[in-house]
Amino acid sequence: MTSRRSAPPHRTQPKPVLQKVSDAAPEAIIEMRGVVKKFSNAAGEFTVLKGVDLQIDRGEFVSIVGKSGSGKSTLLNMITGIDHPTSGQVIVNHTDIYTGVSESQRSKWRGKNLGIVFQFFQLLPMLTLLENVMLPMDYVDMYDFDLRPVRALELLELVGLEKFANKLPVLVSTGQQQLAAIARAMACDPPLLIADEPTGNLDTRSSDTIIGLFEHFVQQGKTIVMVTHDPSLTSRTHRNIIISDGELIDETISRGLPQLRHRHMLEFTKLAERRVYQPHEAIISRDEKLNHFYVIRKGEVEVVLQKQRSKETVLSRLGANEFFGEAELLRGGRSIANVRAGRAPVEVLAIPRGDYNRVMEESPVTMEAVGKVVQKRLQEHRMADPRGGRK
Amino acid sequence: MNTSLIEITNLSKTYSTAAGDFPALKNINLTVNKGEFLGVVGKSGAGKSTLLNMINGVDELSTGEVLVNSNGGRVSVHRLTEDEKALWRGQTMGVIYQSFQLLPMLTLVENITLPMDLAGNFKPRESREKAMELLRLVEIEEHAEKLPALISGGQQQRVAIARALANDPDILVADEPTGSLDSVTADHIFDVFSRLASERGKTIVMVTHDMGLKSRFTRCLTLADGELQDEITPSAKAKGRRKA
Repeated sequence: MTSRRSAPPHRTQPKPVLQKVSDAAPEAIIEMRGVVKKFSNAAGEFTVLKGVDLQIDRGEFVSIVGKSGSGKSTLLNMITGIDHPTSGQVIVNHTDIYTGVSESQRSKWRGKNLGIVFQFFQLLPMLTLLENVMLPMDYVDMYDFDLRPVRALELLELVGLEKFANKLPVLVSTGQQQLAAIARAMACDPPLLIADEPTGNLDTRSSDTIIGLFEHFVQQGKTIVMVTHDPSLTSRTHRNIIISDGELIDETISRGLPQLRHRHMLEFTKLAERRVYQPHEAIISRDEKLNHFYVIRKGEVEVVLQKQRSKETVLSRLGANEFFGEAELLRGGRSIANVRAGRAPVEVLAIPRGDYNRVMEESPVTMEAVGKVVQKRLQEHRMADPRGGRK
Repeated sequence: MNTSLIEITNLSKTYSTAAGDFPALKNINLTVNKGEFLGVVGKSGAGKSTLLNMINGVDELSTGEVLVNSNGGRVSVHRLTEDEKALWRGQTMGVIYQSFQLLPMLTLVENITLPMDLAGNFKPRESREKAMELLRLVEIEEHAEKLPALISGGQQQRVAIARALANDPDILVADEPTGSLDSVTADHIFDVFSRLASERGKTIVMVTHDMGLKSRFTRCLTLADGELQDEITPSAKAKGRRKA
C-alpha cells in the first residue's frame, strides 16, 4: 500500500500549556463543573446549559439523549472544546481544556486525546479513505511517517473497509463513509470517542454495525460518549444521560421512573432530597404516615415484616433505581411494612408526597407502571401476612 | 476566441447491478471552455453526479474519452493510473459537495491550509497567508480562527469553496453546492462562483436538480436519463425575448 502524499512540512506549533487539574477525580475521564453556556442573538440572551455537573468515568459507554433544542449537542461541544462555556470548568483526561489555552493549542490536544464522529462524516472528498484515516496522524505528527498508512489500513480492516482503502468517499455508501470516519477518529488511539448522532443518517443495519464497533472499543477500555435519539442504541450503553431544557436529569430518577416525561423527571430531579442511612437504620416504620416517595440511588434496603411475638420476615430487598413508599402513597399514606437500610449505607432520593401524587395524575402511563409494582408487592405482602395484607 | 478546457467525446457509463446493466450516461459529447460557468441541471438519478465523476476521474467510464487541457498539458483523464489521477486532480480540480465536509476539529484557516500542506506546494507560512487570502476572497476572513460548528451553513460552504481553491486549480466541479442552503444564502454562494469565473478565469461545472437556477449560469445543459437534452444560454433566451 502506497501513499500519494509527501511528508507534511514541519509546522511550528505552540507547545500545549494545558493545565492538569490536581483535584480531578482519578477515575473520571470527563468532569463538568457548573457549566453554563449562554448564547446571545437579536431576541436576547438564551441560556442553553444551566449549570451542568457531570462525571463520566474511564471505560464507560454513555448515551446522551434529549429533545431537539434541549442542549445535548452544546453539551458535547463543551467536552470536545468546539464551543466555549460561559462559566464553569470542563476537565477532560484530567486536563482543564479552557483555562489559558489558545484554539490552536486546544486543537493539538484534541487531536491526541479525542476522536470525534459526526452525523455527516466530514471526510475530505479529494482524499481516499486511507488518506482520510491518516490525516489525524499527520496533523498531530503521531507515529512514524511510514507507519501511518500501515496503521490506517489496520483501522480500515477493523471497520471492514480494507477493500475500499483506495477509493474516494463519494464512491462508497453513506454507512461505509461513517465507518471510515470512525476509523479516522481512532487514528491516534484516543482514550475518548465522542459521537454526535453517529447513526442519524444511516439505515438500521449500518447503525447496528457501528454500535457493535463501539462496543468493541469499549471492551478495549475506550470511553465513548454518544448523543443519539435512537432508543435501540441507548439500550446498549452503560449509562443514559437525559438533558432537558439545559439541565441534566438525575439518572436514578430516569432509571427508576423511565415512563415519565422529561419535564417531570427534571421536576423530580430538582425536588428530590438526598438522604443517606447507615446500615440497618430505619427509613420507614410500619403504620407511620408517609410523606415521601423514595428512589434508591446507591445500596440496598430491606422491606421487613415484624409480626407480634414472632421473628421478622424480610419480604424483599430493593437495590439501586428501585423505589418504595409508592403503595402507601397510593393507598392512603400509612406504611404497611418497615423499611430499613441493608448491610451497607444506603443513599435514597426522597420526593415529597404532594408532588409525587400530582405528577402521577399528570402521567397515567407512569401511574399504570407503578400500579403494577404495587399489585405485585401487595401480593407478596398478603402471602407473608394475610391479616395485615387485607388492611 | 474560446479555448476548450474539457472535451468529452462519446462518453458512456453503464453500471452492472443484480437487476442487469444500467446505463447512467449515454453517448455524451460536450466541450467546456475556459472561464465558463456551466450548469448541468436534471432530476435526481439523471446522471448528473456520474457526469462530474467522469470529469474529475473519480469513477471509471465504460466507453469514450475525457480530455482536459490544463497546466500547459493535455491529459486523457481515464488513461492515467489511480495515483497519477489523484495527483492530477489535486493540481487541476477543486471539488465542492452539498455537505461541506469541513474537518470539525480544525479551525477554518487550518481546513484550508491542510490540502496545501498535503500537496506540499507551499511553506507553512506561505500556506497560511494564501489561506487567509482565500478566506478574504469568499468574504469570511474575520472567522478564520473559528471552528466550523460555530458558523452558519452558508459560511461553511464558503470555506469549502476556499478549500477547493487552495491549490489554485483551473477547474471547480460542484455537486449540488447549494442543496442544503436557504435561497438567500444560495444566492450569495452563486455570486461567489460567478465572480470566480468572471474575475479569476476559473472554469466551473456545477450540477443541480434545481431548474430555477438555469439563468445563473453562463451556459446551462439539461441531463435526463443519462442524455444531454438541450442547451440554453441566458443570453440566447434574452435575445429571444427582445425579438418578440
